[in-house]
Amino acid sequence: MDNKKILIIGGGPAGLEAARQLLRLGWEPVIVEKTEQIGGHLSRWYKLFPDMMPASELLEQLTAGLEGAKVYLKTRVAYMNRLKDGYSIMLSNGTGIQCRAVLIASGFSLFDASKKEEYGYGVYDRVITNADLEAWFAGASDSRIPEHPRRIAFVHCVGSRDLKAGNSQCSKVCCMTAIKQAIEMKERFPDSGIWCFYMDLRLFGKKYEDFYINAQKDYGVHFVRGRVSEVSEAIDGSLVVKAEDTLAGTPVKLNADLLVLMAGMLCNADTATLARMVRSEVDSDGFLRSRDNIYRINESRRPGVFYAGACTGTKTIPETMAEARAAALDIHNYLCGND
Amino acid sequence: MRERFVTGFDPFVLPFLAGMIFVLCYCAFGIVRILAQLPREDRRRFLLSLITPATALKNIRDIFADCLLHVKLWRRNPLLGFMHSSIAFGWFMLIVLGHIEVMVYCPDRIRLFYYPIFFNYFVAAGESTIGGAVLFFLMDFFLLLILVGIGLAIVKRIRSRIFGLRRTTRPSLTDRIGLYSLWAIFPLRLLAESFTAHISGGSFLTIPANWIFRQFLGNDLNMLPTWWAYSIALGVFLFVLPFSRYMHIPAEMMLIPMRNAGLRIRHPRKGFARLEVLSCPECGVCIDACPMSVKKANIKDCTVYLNRQLRRGNERRIEEISDKCLLCGKCEAVCQVGVEGPLLRMEQRASRRYGLSPDFSGIDLSKLQAPAASSQKVLYFSGCMTRLTPAISKSVCSVLSKAGVDYRWIDQDEGLCCGRPLQTAGRYEQARQLMRKNEELILSYGADTLILSCPICYKVFKDEYKLPGVRVVNYMEYFAELIAAGRLQIEKSDICYVYHDPCELGRGCGVYEGPRKLLGKAAGIAEAPANRAESICCGGSLGSLSLDFAQREEITLKSLQNLYDSRADAIATACPLCLNTFARYSDRPVRDMAEILDAAAR
Repeated sequence: MDNKKILIIGGGPAGLEAARQLLRLGWEPVIVEKTEQIGGHLSRWYKLFPDMMPASELLEQLTAGLEGAKVYLKTRVAYMNRLKDGYSIMLSNGTGIQCRAVLIASGFSLFDASKKEEYGYGVYDRVITNADLEAWFAGASDSRIPEHPRRIAFVHCVGSRDLKAGNSQCSKVCCMTAIKQAIEMKERFPDSGIWCFYMDLRLFGKKYEDFYINAQKDYGVHFVRGRVSEVSEAIDGSLVVKAEDTLAGTPVKLNADLLVLMAGMLCNADTATLARMVRSEVDSDGFLRSRDNIYRINESRRPGVFYAGACTGTKTIPETMAEARAAALDIHNYLCGND
Repeated sequence: MRERFVTGFDPFVLPFLAGMIFVLCYCAFGIVRILAQLPREDRRRFLLSLITPATALKNIRDIFADCLLHVKLWRRNPLLGFMHSSIAFGWFMLIVLGHIEVMVYCPDRIRLFYYPIFFNYFVAAGESTIGGAVLFFLMDFFLLLILVGIGLAIVKRIRSRIFGLRRTTRPSLTDRIGLYSLWAIFPLRLLAESFTAHISGGSFLTIPANWIFRQFLGNDLNMLPTWWAYSIALGVFLFVLPFSRYMHIPAEMMLIPMRNAGLRIRHPRKGFARLEVLSCPECGVCIDACPMSVKKANIKDCTVYLNRQLRRGNERRIEEISDKCLLCGKCEAVCQVGVEGPLLRMEQRASRRYGLSPDFSGIDLSKLQAPAASSQKVLYFSGCMTRLTPAISKSVCSVLSKAGVDYRWIDQDEGLCCGRPLQTAGRYEQARQLMRKNEELILSYGADTLILSCPICYKVFKDEYKLPGVRVVNYMEYFAELIAAGRLQIEKSDICYVYHDPCELGRGCGVYEGPRKLLGKAAGIAEAPANRAESICCGGSLGSLSLDFAQREEITLKSLQNLYDSRADAIATACPLCLNTFARYSDRPVRDMAEILDAAAR
């Protein structure tokens, strides 16, 4: 097999960045994206922490260098067979591809917040998720968000670090997303009070801690350490949020006009199917299993199959970018026989 | 018919005789002990029931139907029913006919209780009468029946699946000795009677066998050793009986009259509980029934093994098994002798001493109390678990409003636990304190109807609460009444639901048909293979004190698989815990009955 094609499954930030790099290295990446547009979750996000960079700006940069790459939208991998020195792939649109390397960049899906029914998503009118709020920031209309919310509550760790929800890992980005969205809300509704209910604040990245301090100092966002136990609806449609303030050691009750749930990251449901096709392994957390979690996160245990981004675990965008570039280089070295 | 020996005795009867005397003494002692363990009023009640003609008659009928004919087992599994009743009833008839023979031919020997058993050795046929022929025919007939039963038992031991049992109990050492001696008794009896048939006479089985054996056995020397072997097999069986599962034979005959007298478990080990444990035949029907046994490691935590450990007094395992159980009640529903597995465990939990015992009797109700003039006659109590599934309470309230019911949701803001979780954990006193508080609270509203949407609350409100003048009703029953009264119009949708029977509502309260009728009005309905009393626990039960999420997941998946097998589009249930548990893993929508009815109500 001497063609220069490389199949990239998933047209999100990881897939796009890897494709861009592979193009530069002289390969012919083919991107397969199941939805009708590229960009993944990024295309539905408004601004990115900690610099408040518009997501569309990053997406523009990612797509700018993509001329020459083949992109199939609304397409899935129908089946994939291992050949002697590569893979034979059939796509759902009938296209057949033969290539020596496959990059899986299938990403994550958001936790379905209605599974934590006690928070009332899908039951009460004033409960939304972080993704709903981003879409509203980006301009979509949402009847659940009142015109002048006086009190807004954010619930961290919805479906993350939660054995009951079947998800023990930390989703990494929600703490910062909550702080970012709290600031954005405060900017839009300066008279509103904002409360964040958290278990721990995991602010590990560059500028993250400063961001958190600013939110308190400059925007007056309240942080309450304690999980929300239940949410009920008052007669006027507002929400009664019950939680425990574990620092003060008392139960607290908050009347809120809007409740935002920080839905966490889960492995994409299609990923297990993909993994089965290439006989690659799924880890105990539902994400794909890398060769190791230190040195070869980009590599699967199958020759020619590589990973990038959130398909191997929860990731921030900078991490995903770094991994996409690393995967592109790994593939390049693999195909050139540089190992 | 004449006797062959003037003494009417041969040393070979000794093993049987010793075994029989041992068992009779053991049982007599056991009865006295269990009676002594009963509380005074229970003992009085039981002894009175024995001389009450109606209960006495019922006792005889029940013992005959359950212990000998195994009517319940026949209904559940005809092959197993045939196997058990052929051995039990056949053996019983052999003993009865043996006594008739002795009474007819040598009435003065009736006091020797080995005589009816070894009758054929001690007599010689001098004449043949029609009556004698009929007796001998019946003896051979019942022996054949037992032999068929034993044959089936051997097949069952090797291939239990043929009998519809996926897994059976692993017999203990004494069980094995008992089992093999039981298998040996009847073939040995056939041999012994066959070898003697040319002297004592016989019928269609023993005479031809005798003829065949005499073709190649030149003399009668093998006669006595075979009778010895028969007697030894009987003796061994009788000696291990009290220490093996075969103790269920005498124990169940005692259990039935006690149950008919209305006795209940009042102590985890003594009296009635002890009798239930001894009555367990270790058939293992509860193993396949138990939702936990989806995992092989949990098989040893089924009720049959609890009973075994209770017999042995293995405290560590008893504690472990008692805590692990989900208390779904399915083992009790399928049990042939009616061992109350969940109750035995709850009593065990209740028998512990706790370092910390919270006192709820001092709760201040003034914060929860109704305002002085409360006009509503209908109250709604949603319970704690429903706080995790607000869709249920929201839908119940919506339906009540649509029907124009003037109701009051008494625990909308704050409320007290119904006490059932504490009760299942064995904290009876704390549960009682909460119940008394709730009673006081509810009565203070002066209402006449209390609607409950959680079956866990419903069970305890129905069974334990004393609320004079207040009708306790499940919301589905109440909605059905609203529909019947024309206050609620239901529009049928074309979604097909499978109804999952929650443990506490189905097996706990016996509510099976009402929800199905109601669901049939609002949507299409399909049935899962295991339904009603056989429904499989969702795995989320509060009953278990030690199962973790990973262990529960497999139980939930098994329960869901059973529901998927109905090929319904969606799952309907009527319990916040089932809803919460299923929603986590289900591949199709899960809805509470309240949500379905709210969507269908106009």
